[in-house]
Amino acid sequence: MPDYDKPLPELNQFTKSYWEAAKRHQLAIAKCSACGRLNHPPKPVCRFCQSDKLAPQVVSGKGTIYSYTVTHYPYHPGFVKNGPYPVVLVELEEDPRVRIVSNLVDYKPEQLKVGEPVEVVFDDVTPEVTLPKFRPRAAAAARGER
Amino acid sequence: MPHHGRKVAIVGVGYSHVGRNTGLTVLQNAFRASMDAITDAGLKPSDIDGVTQYGFSFESVTCWEVADALGIKDLAWYNDINGWGPAGITGLIDACAAVASGSAEVCLAYRSVSLTGGHSAGRKPPTHIPGDNQFTVPYGFISATQWVAMYMRRHMAVYGTKEEHFGAVAVAQREYASLNPRALMRQKITMQDYLSARYITEPMRLLDCDLPVDGAGAVIVTTAERAKALKQRPVYVDAWSFGAGHPYDWFQWPDLTTNGSIVASKYLWKRSQFKPGDVDTAQVYDGFTMLTLNWLEALGLCPMGEGGRFVADGNTKLGGKLPTNTNGGMLNIGRVHGISHVIEAVEQLRGTCGPRQTPNAKVAVATNGGGPMAGAAVLYRE
Repeated sequence: MPDYDKPLPELNQFTKSYWEAAKRHQLAIAKCSACGRLNHPPKPVCRFCQSDKLAPQVVSGKGTIYSYTVTHYPYHPGFVKNGPYPVVLVELEEDPRVRIVSNLVDYKPEQLKVGEPVEVVFDDVTPEVTLPKFRPRAAAAARGER
Repeated sequence: MPHHGRKVAIVGVGYSHVGRNTGLTVLQNAFRASMDAITDAGLKPSDIDGVTQYGFSFESVTCWEVADALGIKDLAWYNDINGWGPAGITGLIDACAAVASGSAEVCLAYRSVSLTGGHSAGRKPPTHIPGDNQFTVPYGFISATQWVAMYMRRHMAVYGTKEEHFGAVAVAQREYASLNPRALMRQKITMQDYLSARYITEPMRLLDCDLPVDGAGAVIVTTAERAKALKQRPVYVDAWSFGAGHPYDWFQWPDLTTNGSIVASKYLWKRSQFKPGDVDTAQVYDGFTMLTLNWLEALGLCPMGEGGRFVADGNTKLGGKLPTNTNGGMLNIGRVHGISHVIEAVEQLRGTCGPRQTPNAKVAVATNGGGPMAGAAVLYRE
């Protein structure tokens, strides 16, 4: 998709595994091998026990909308033609203290609400980059996907 | 527990010209505001031995440049503070700490901002995003308006706060602005005007946002002892605090109905001789209307979660229980990034605010910050 004009992540040694997992269509959060806590965004040390032994842990991708906003003003030219778009803050099922910023896709207006159960889907936006996004779990259930 | 060290006072305050697209640089404005504050105090630049400022790395002017322009022969203390500081009050807090500890005798603190140096102004849109922002910006989650909108929505979900409650902040502050010749936005607005304003990022509307400007504000801090001989009625700084907390991240912060204001408030009241009930006027940060509600709650000026209803009930208006953001706030005088809250607290305590004056104001709070970072001070007169 050479015409993709939205900003993309610039990977570094600590974030690489997150984006590589996304490319494989997995959501992998940095987990501390010492205390077991999930850390996001990934960092050189565990913010809870200060260990530097962190490794990507594949999680279910299930979560709940903690908060959201619908953005009307495009702050980047890549979003101008979107029209208003939803950004969600998703707390993960494995540890609700950990939240992911993403977009909600494939949803009905009434599903954009605090407390809505969601699950990850993967958007291969370029040949190199896949963005984890979220959709209501009810959307998949309605289609008989689970 | 009071601060150790010398009793300190704010003895001068000043502004540069504040306006939209003035063409004036951050140095010109910092210089003007500093000269205005020095003159207000009845001092000369040569009396200054400390300079301190907070600024974003892309939008500030260093202590050196300002001291050089002012012709200050030498400096005993200077501090350029960048990073996640709580806006313009950062310089004031640093100046108080410097004077109280004996590191400086007369300290200038300023905040200078410019439209052209702002977060996104005039820059080529980035294509690849480093750091923590790589987890947010690719989703079109780019601006502080969006960050704070997440906090608004959460506050609404947990406490039943309504869009009209944010609107009540905007309407009340515009009423003050109509009485303040320094405000840029002076025409009164109604709730209908607020609700008709376009969404920037729901639930945040245009009228929830401060007004970007070119401009600067400055204050002069010295000892209470020295203040006696100066031109203005001294305004003492009773207590000051920073506040931030773990996780140090806007979106991993444990509870988005609160922010760093709860940490700064905790330390502030521990250190102050005053209590929340003693506050006559509150000058609390209003980069966005939500942040004003956060501060009223965190400071204990209203119950937690009740900020919206407290404002909607008229408590913050002129003649209300707690006149708040009495200059109109940054929503209306322009985003000089929080130093204006300190200046208005000083002017209220001097009793020089004319038609917007809080009668017999003796104790004020001035605060800045949103997200995990915060700074606050209690000011009083004798």
